[in-house]
Amino acid sequence: MIQPRDLFTQSIQLSPALLMALLVIPVVGGLIGVLLPAFGYIPALDKTTFTLSGFYSLFNTAGFGTMLLLSAVSSLVSTLLAFTITVLILACYFNSPWLYRIQRLLGPILVIPHAAAAIAISFLITPSGMMSRLFSPWLTQWQSPADWLLPHDPWAISMILGLTLKELPFLLLMALGALAQADLGEKLRAQHKVAMSLGYCPMTAFFKVVLPNLYPFLRLPILAVLAYASASVEIPLILGPNAPPTLAVAIMQWFNDVDLTLRIQASAGAIMQLLLTMTLLLSWWLLEKLIKRFSYNSLINGRREYAGQLIMRFTQLLTVILLTVIMLSLIGLILWSFAGYWRFPDALPSQFVLLHWQHALQHMQTPLLNTITIGFIATFVAVILTLSTLEAEQLRARNLSNFASLLIYLPMLIPSIAFLFGLVWLQEQVGSHHAYFNVIFGHLLFVLPYVFLSLASSYRRLDPRFSYLAASLGVTPSKVFLRVKLPQLLAPILIAFALGLAVSFSQYLPTLLSGGGRINTITTEAVALAGGASRRVSAVYALMQMLLPAMAFLLAWFIPKLVFTKQNAAHYVSTSSTKTTP
Amino acid sequence: MTSSNYLLLQARRMQFYALLFSVMLSLVFSSNSTAKQWQSVLDNGQNHNVYFHAWGGDPQINSYIQWLAQQVKRQYNIDLHHIKLTDTSEAVSRVLAERSAGNHSDGKIDLIWINGANFAAMAKHGLLTPDWANQLPNFALTNPSHNPAVSLDFGVPTQGMESPWGQAALTFYYDSAAMTAPPKTINQLLSWSAQHQGRFTYPRPPDFIGVSFLKYALISLTPKAQQSLLYQPVSKQSAALLLPNLWQFLDALHPNLWRSGQYFVSSSTALRRLVGDTELSLALTFSASEVPAAVARFDLPTSIRSYAMSDGSLSNIHFVAIPYNAANADSAKLVANFMLSVNAQAKKQHPEIWGDNTVLDLATLHPEQAAQFQLSNPHPSSLAPNHHSPALAEPHPSWVKVIEQQWLTRYGAQ
Repeated sequence: MIQPRDLFTQSIQLSPALLMALLVIPVVGGLIGVLLPAFGYIPALDKTTFTLSGFYSLFNTAGFGTMLLLSAVSSLVSTLLAFTITVLILACYFNSPWLYRIQRLLGPILVIPHAAAAIAISFLITPSGMMSRLFSPWLTQWQSPADWLLPHDPWAISMILGLTLKELPFLLLMALGALAQADLGEKLRAQHKVAMSLGYCPMTAFFKVVLPNLYPFLRLPILAVLAYASASVEIPLILGPNAPPTLAVAIMQWFNDVDLTLRIQASAGAIMQLLLTMTLLLSWWLLEKLIKRFSYNSLINGRREYAGQLIMRFTQLLTVILLTVIMLSLIGLILWSFAGYWRFPDALPSQFVLLHWQHALQHMQTPLLNTITIGFIATFVAVILTLSTLEAEQLRARNLSNFASLLIYLPMLIPSIAFLFGLVWLQEQVGSHHAYFNVIFGHLLFVLPYVFLSLASSYRRLDPRFSYLAASLGVTPSKVFLRVKLPQLLAPILIAFALGLAVSFSQYLPTLLSGGGRINTITTEAVALAGGASRRVSAVYALMQMLLPAMAFLLAWFIPKLVFTKQNAAHYVSTSSTKTTP
Repeated sequence: MTSSNYLLLQARRMQFYALLFSVMLSLVFSSNSTAKQWQSVLDNGQNHNVYFHAWGGDPQINSYIQWLAQQVKRQYNIDLHHIKLTDTSEAVSRVLAERSAGNHSDGKIDLIWINGANFAAMAKHGLLTPDWANQLPNFALTNPSHNPAVSLDFGVPTQGMESPWGQAALTFYYDSAAMTAPPKTINQLLSWSAQHQGRFTYPRPPDFIGVSFLKYALISLTPKAQQSLLYQPVSKQSAALLLPNLWQFLDALHPNLWRSGQYFVSSSTALRRLVGDTELSLALTFSASEVPAAVARFDLPTSIRSYAMSDGSLSNIHFVAIPYNAANADSAKLVANFMLSVNAQAKKQHPEIWGDNTVLDLATLHPEQAAQFQLSNPHPSSLAPNHHSPALAEPHPSWVKVIEQQWLTRYGAQ
């Protein structure tokens, strides 16, 4: 195809390279920034020889093995659980309208920042929390809270619960997103029907027909979830054990320790974290290969029924329990944010007050403004870059190579704790002292992959005949892009925008580190307050963290409706007027 | 005999006058040059930003810092930004990162709220501006010659690297609905905890309050004759001599703690939340005034009472320091000087504002100025002003690291 070489086309052609550079350079640079100190090279401490002392002290750290085990087990188990439940829910409700109702109910959880979700869950399960208050003292006879190690149990059950609840909606949404692709969804639904007409139980039909075709679309999200869970900081901080904590939390503590030489050990730990995450990703991939190999025969063995009813009942029960847990956590959070005195074991506060909201709102203006400004700028840049990269794909008439696609997800797959400290060092090296800029740049690294993930499929699915038609009418590529493609993509763009905002709103480590602690957002405040003194203020901040992305998504859902209603009205007027003319 | 005595006396008197004269002379000259220096600080320091990195976990303290910001804005047109830290060591890492990047003059931190181990670490690595705090005009109000504590941070001479801001003592508080008599000594704490299983805990080191509790226990468990060892740099011998007392005590205490000592909260503020949840009945804090304030905000039940241990209260002074590469050092000095003013110190000591004890020597003040520090109508949950608790000075900071490390190896990983 011959392309006109106007400014639009040229800049569009450059954008994939720009996008890659924006993602790869900071991540790789950041990794180098921890690699050097890991081998004992910190000029600021007058240490300029390469040694392995950091690794030795790391391996000699008390409980180092437990840390590794905790990180590995919690991330693997939670990912496995989240994936299993996702698949069960999909299988159980594949042809039911309940699938979309459950999605609606779980969808908002996706945008709840990890910190807020962890706070809500900890409020639910602590011995003085909602759950135990509901059953005390009439059932448990407890007049004061039981001395149970929840959350923070050494088996990481609360942490796994938190991670699973947070990962589940993401995987479900990704699966439904794949099913929403017209060709794939229709094909799979049709095949499912065929299987059922051949006497397969709906559950069996899902597992044998739909899942093998759906899984490839879930692989990357699962790996991202696994990578995130293995190195996340907020949930283990709020729900996980601390004697010892997970590796990522320990690294963060070492990096922030007064003893500056601990940074060598911390950097070695970051490298270890990287290896751990890579090992986990590899094990998942191997697990997948194994399952594929061993389930191959059962796929075609013709068996129609595997206790489908039982599994269905179990899934329904599980879904109800999940939704109850989520509802109760939310109710607990709301109650705390308005609570006056509230002694155990009262199920309700003895009075309701507005004090906590008033107090928090008075102190929230700057963090709120920061949160919104940073979110908007980072997301705006991400959406523009994503759109132009996708447009470049179409102009070149070929998709990004697999390698390039993988690079886009680099910040999602590489544990942020491993490269963020190095990135801060890098930003110092290039003399970038503008905290606001650094934070926006840091956020962009994490916003971009999600925006891309969210927009790519809709963009690539766009019927090319519209553009061909427009082009054949002599319209320039820039006009095709702006007048033909973008209007059709209004809804997905807005959703991607809202997702980008939600991701930006929830960033903790990048805000804290890139901003040098100078930039406070609702999330940094919420995490700072989560371990803090007041459940009530903490509840207000956690709710605020939930409200912000919720509002973004509400707008994303509402704006296209408004636009389309207008267009439809206009369309209706125009068609009815054409009808009247003979 | 008498005449020689008289001569000696005369000679002493002469010596004294000579000394007095030289002191006055130096005062005149130095005050002249100090005045000039201060004038240049005033000229350079106005109309700038000051980034104040300070622990941000307490809403009361945060509000007080906001008030400070309003005041310095009005007086010097300085925009004071409070950067809320969860841990002061974040700021230490920050300055270090800046130095490693070769940023020696345009640092992001202008002023840090600091003391103890963080100060010792920054001082050791030369990360702080020296010799400015003693030049502040208001520093004289602390009466430094009679009050050496304002120039010592956990026993380490501050050398003008930090200016005192306030002082605090370890205070305990308990739920009077859950018990009648709280433990008053470290040994009573042990027997009390056995009777009240799971109703007390302390934060794990390196949390400030956690380390402070360990230091309080260590001092109280150490025989008087050996206590002087705690105020010298720690050695292998002194650690081996004194620390076993502490570990023996903790080995006995831990099974009685909250969650059987298997889990320790990471931050002191979590203690207050757990008392509010009625999970704990006894807790401790370094800012006594946070207790009545928390009751007023519904975070603690009305049955909470504060008290000081009768075998002593660990107490220390906290400071503000300027990093060596601060971009707005002069503006930071103006802010530090304002923090030492009578108005700012009196407001800070008010229980409704913060309740942090002043570092000024009230004897050097005008009676009307001193009257600003008087308070009326204490809250039932606040610490009684006439408690009998000897102040325990902080051990040498080198002990902190040893205590922390050994604690972590013994109890950190189970």
